[in-house]
Amino acid sequence: MDFLISSFAAALRLLGDLSPDVLDAVGTSLAVSAGATVFAALFGIPLGLLVGLTGFPLKRTVVTVLNTLMAVPTVVVGLLVYGFLSRQGPLGVLGLLFSPTAIVIGGILLATPIVANYSLASVRGADHRIVPTALTLGAGRFLAVGSLIGEIRFGILAAVIAGFGRVVSEVGVAMMLGGNIRGYTRTMTTAIALETSKGEFAFGMALGIVLMTVAFLVNLFLGFLQRK
Amino acid sequence: MKILYRLHSVRKCYGVNVVLAIEDLTIAGNRLYTLIGANGAGKSTLLNILAFLSPPTSGEIFYAGHRVDWDRRSTKEYRRKVTLLHQSPYLFGGTVYDNVAFGLKARGIPAEERQAIVENALDTVGLRGFGGRKARDLSGGETQRVAVARALSLKPEVLLLDEPLANIDRETTGVLETVIASLPSQGTTVVMTTHNPEHPGRLNGEAIFLDGGRVIPRSTYPL
Repeated sequence: MDFLISSFAAALRLLGDLSPDVLDAVGTSLAVSAGATVFAALFGIPLGLLVGLTGFPLKRTVVTVLNTLMAVPTVVVGLLVYGFLSRQGPLGVLGLLFSPTAIVIGGILLATPIVANYSLASVRGADHRIVPTALTLGAGRFLAVGSLIGEIRFGILAAVIAGFGRVVSEVGVAMMLGGNIRGYTRTMTTAIALETSKGEFAFGMALGIVLMTVAFLVNLFLGFLQRK
Repeated sequence: MKILYRLHSVRKCYGVNVVLAIEDLTIAGNRLYTLIGANGAGKSTLLNILAFLSPPTSGEIFYAGHRVDWDRRSTKEYRRKVTLLHQSPYLFGGTVYDNVAFGLKARGIPAEERQAIVENALDTVGLRGFGGRKARDLSGGETQRVAVARALSLKPEVLLLDEPLANIDRETTGVLETVIASLPSQGTTVVMTTHNPEHPGRLNGEAIFLDGGRVIPRSTYPL
């Protein structure tokens, strides 16, 4: 127990001292997660809306695939992207492996199904009177769908935040595609894994506290939106 | 007499279920019609077709002499002449003003003009000064009145009302009956559904009786 308490105290000291290594890992984590989330939102929101608002053959299959992709292990995504970005891979010439961009690409693949599924759930849960009401008031199809999006905007924002939560807390993609390079691709999660394995438990705990704080704030905001 | 709607051999089916089968129905302008029928008689289905929200499975509909083709562009044009007020109307998030101004905005009416129209419509339903209130904070009766004001603000050729007088308080019923009864003289044809056989007489309207999706003569309607 003394070990945990002394490590926790050391972790707080590290945070208080604003250790450059801690700040680097936090900055990299937030930057790659934000980048991946923006792109995941750009792909996932329209995808969720399209699936939710239109009928097409194999729609159920698409929904099942989206659900399955939500649960894909991060290391599998890491492995897949690694195959494309490695020197022998089809995109190896771009030299992106072990860079923040590679982590962002993996993060996009992780977060897009989540954003799409949550957006789809928002459309499905929306009041079925919204579109007919807009249409009968003279709105065109575009404005009617715009009204629907306006009415479910908090659900869509929640989808984006859930996507961010997935990316910021994962370790497999960041480790395999980023390579855990200090000051460059080291994120909070990869730093925790590395420092703990080196016996630097306090350092890992300091980052754990930051990560938990970020997760807490994200969930707090999510709860606030869901109450809206 | 201006004929607005003419329905010929109109059928609406869901799978093998025929929910509406109207051989001939004519609706003239500047009149008030009440659609009377039990639950499942096809009243709401007919209103959705008349509102151009849902095409019939088969049959022809003419509006103001023009055959309705149900293509996207023409239905949008028709919808701008006809407004449907659902039984349980939906108010968008935002203020009462935002809601009443919705259709006016969709039609590109300038802001200053919108303001006057919205205030006038709210005044008509007895909700003067409600413009700034949050729509979601209103009572059931107020919600119904705002929805009526939203429809009236558009001055539609036809106002379709799905049981507008159900589940509302007596004061709101009185206000809405007065407003609805006055519409034909102002150039708006009204088609409203009701369970109450007294409404046609009280609102000075003509009754259309529906049973099992068919228009039937009054004499055969099971009162």
